[in-house]
Amino acid sequence: MKTPILSAFLVLGLASGALAADPPSGLDPALLTKPPTDSWPTYHGDYSGRRYSTLSQINTDNVKGLSLAWIYRANTSPQGAQTGGEGPDTPPPGSGGFGLDIKSTPLLVNGVLYLTAPDNVWAVDPRTGREIWHFYWKTRGGIHIGNRGVGMYGNWLYFLTPDNYFVCLDAATGKERWHKEIANVKREYFSTAAPIVIRNHIIIGVGGDSLDVPGYLESRDPDTGELQWRWYTTPRPGEPGSETWPDKYSMEHGGGMPWLPGSYDPELNLYYFGTGNANPVLSGHSRPGDNLWTASIVAVNVDTGKMAWYYQATPHDTHDWDSAQTPVMIDGVIDGKPRKLLAQANRNGHFFLLDRTNGKHILTAPFIDSINWTKEINKKGQPVGNPEKEASIPGALVSPTTDGATNWPPPSFNPDTGLFYVGTTRGVSMFYLTDTDPRPQGWAAAERHVGNFGTELKAIDYKTGKIVWSRPLAMSVWGPGGGSMGLLSTAGKLLFGNDGGGNFVAYDAATGKPLWHAGLGNNTTNGPQTFLLDGRQYVVVGAGDQLFAFTLQQ
Amino acid sequence: MRLTYVMSVAAVLLAAGRLGAQQPPAAPPPAAAPPPASAPAPAHPPTPDEATPKFDPESVARGRILLVAQCGFCHGSNARGGQQGPDLTRSDLVQSDEGGKQLGAFLKVGRPELKMPKFDLPEKDVVDLATFLHSEIASVADRGKYKILNIVVGDPKAGEAFFNGAGKCASCHSPEGDLRGIGAKIEDAVTLQQRFLMPRGGRPRRRGPRPPGSDVPPYLQSTAVKATVTLPSGETVTGPIIRLTDFDVTIYDPATQQTRSWLRTNGVPAVTLTDPLQAHVDLLRKWTDTDIHNMTAFLATLK
Repeated sequence: MKTPILSAFLVLGLASGALAADPPSGLDPALLTKPPTDSWPTYHGDYSGRRYSTLSQINTDNVKGLSLAWIYRANTSPQGAQTGGEGPDTPPPGSGGFGLDIKSTPLLVNGVLYLTAPDNVWAVDPRTGREIWHFYWKTRGGIHIGNRGVGMYGNWLYFLTPDNYFVCLDAATGKERWHKEIANVKREYFSTAAPIVIRNHIIIGVGGDSLDVPGYLESRDPDTGELQWRWYTTPRPGEPGSETWPDKYSMEHGGGMPWLPGSYDPELNLYYFGTGNANPVLSGHSRPGDNLWTASIVAVNVDTGKMAWYYQATPHDTHDWDSAQTPVMIDGVIDGKPRKLLAQANRNGHFFLLDRTNGKHILTAPFIDSINWTKEINKKGQPVGNPEKEASIPGALVSPTTDGATNWPPPSFNPDTGLFYVGTTRGVSMFYLTDTDPRPQGWAAAERHVGNFGTELKAIDYKTGKIVWSRPLAMSVWGPGGGSMGLLSTAGKLLFGNDGGGNFVAYDAATGKPLWHAGLGNNTTNGPQTFLLDGRQYVVVGAGDQLFAFTLQQ
Repeated sequence: MRLTYVMSVAAVLLAAGRLGAQQPPAAPPPAAAPPPASAPAPAHPPTPDEATPKFDPESVARGRILLVAQCGFCHGSNARGGQQGPDLTRSDLVQSDEGGKQLGAFLKVGRPELKMPKFDLPEKDVVDLATFLHSEIASVADRGKYKILNIVVGDPKAGEAFFNGAGKCASCHSPEGDLRGIGAKIEDAVTLQQRFLMPRGGRPRRRGPRPPGSDVPPYLQSTAVKATVTLPSGETVTGPIIRLTDFDVTIYDPATQQTRSWLRTNGVPAVTLTDPLQAHVDLLRKWTDTDIHNMTAFLATLK
């Protein structure tokens, strides 16, 4: 069925193979620093993390005519696929269990879409939704909760696997070039991030907080996959920051997984990303102190891997509130002065605005009204936890839950409206301490959800932190639906997201009024993206195991 | 193991089929895994670490005794570290070990420079020791199985006072009426606590036992949120909410005993919601943890 297309690409593959030793053709790196139009060459579309498109062919006036172009359903069969991997032919038990959700933001480069799910990469024709090739990874195990997508350098694609391999494929054929192990799956590391390509650096991070292992961000060489630098998310004894841990043992087992892709300012040569929660996750008994640099927004120099600055959003976290959510670059105006800003809607329920040149705090504002775990906002703008709201044997009632006020799905910033958009939820849980050992391990406590005050899509004024509009999401018999969601805003004055009830929705970016919707049978599961192809604007989004493409009928 | 995989594939297909029911018919069917008969043989038999860790309880018990006797003096009686030796369950070597292979090789040599002597243990003892350590590690990693401890520690008298006073529970409930014997009916205190915090349970758990009463569809339970739909004609229909979005509303209509749905545009038809559990929702903002613990203790006494 796919033979004619496949053989055509095999020919292309041979051609690109011949070029492999030369400076790569394929993706033009200059595209990465501009707002995306006829490509979507990196996880967020460009380095800014804004997920804003300058395209306006689809706009508030004509969005009613948006209609389905095609559906691609994820094909996970190893048969007919390019294969790689160190695992057995039959996946080991325990490496499934999550179903298949497309959480990756597909790249579009030179007229081909590239998307992923755990252990799978696909190239898809954006005009027809037909599969061009499929790469299948034979896994050794690891938690298969999701994969955010590929990074691209020249003709080469990079992705991470649940069993912690950094894999390089030929974009033309899907054939593996090499793979490198970046962490040990037996220690419950698992990898989900989309690699971010910055010049000749491939930036990747690890995940996994079940066994109190250390977190790190790495840069690797695009040609060889060899390590260029590694930055640990907790200090070693004697380093600055080590004073925020009681001992060597706790900081070396302190977690802090940088499990999501970040943003990058080429002028400052700084890569911005969020670190994970501290370990043990829900008990702070064995780690008194702020526990740097967990639950922080961090800037590192891309060439050296040295930290330029950090801002800790949750000192001494005990509720699984990592700060991995996208740090979004805003070139804005504060008090009449142009500023290089960085904004994040954090899992802990607070919106943060920083100066991205130095990490200086500008603004902290709660964006949900149910937060009950803070004692105060300190002089640095950090929410300070109330110790009484840490897990206890008979239980502590806390909002938000471990899922957070928001989570990994990417938010959007629209420079035309000045609004930062984020999907939110106001859940409530009981936290029960289960591990009373002086050296608790792993999660150390159990959580039970006991309610939800509501889920809303919110638009935040980045200058003040005020909620400009808030749209309640769907209700079901189980209670409020949805919450956190991937978002895209455009110069067509539109905001694409979901409604928590299985509809993909185009909202008026200025007011939040829904203008168009399509029932996909499942809430969207990734960040929507858009591009211009043959003069047509497409909007592409994943929902469950299917990728949907919409365009205006002509 | 093969059987497990086939079953899990079947479960995935079942789930895909459930979603598929709402998909356009033109969508291609999900790719099926090859039938077992034609599936290629695994390249090698599964190694122990690839199988779901299931630990021989007798080996774990023997390993625990060995640990206390041989290692506990330095590494603590639960292997989490002592005055002189590090935590073994967090050790890279132990976590990476395969059934005692690497651990055994290490014990033969020890780490003399750190005063870790070598141990000449029979191979079967090394296997037991490794089994115990791996079972400890697995129990840390599997947070779904953490056991909640005794949460009935509050003051029942204070709980009763809150019930009749600040909590205003007595305006709807009575220990002699609807709550008679509640502490015996719901023996598990965690379930009891969750039920009074929010009597309308969340989505049923995918695994594990279902709470009593969960076989009744949630919209038929008295705790369901009620919706009143006002049609353009002025007619109103009230019933438990099944689904409400900006674009549609579905309720269970008690009059016809069927579900009914309407499309919505710009807020028409209008829908107003009434929550019979509003007092519980409001209390979620007011509870102190002490109040919760006292209420748990009070209700647990209503045997």
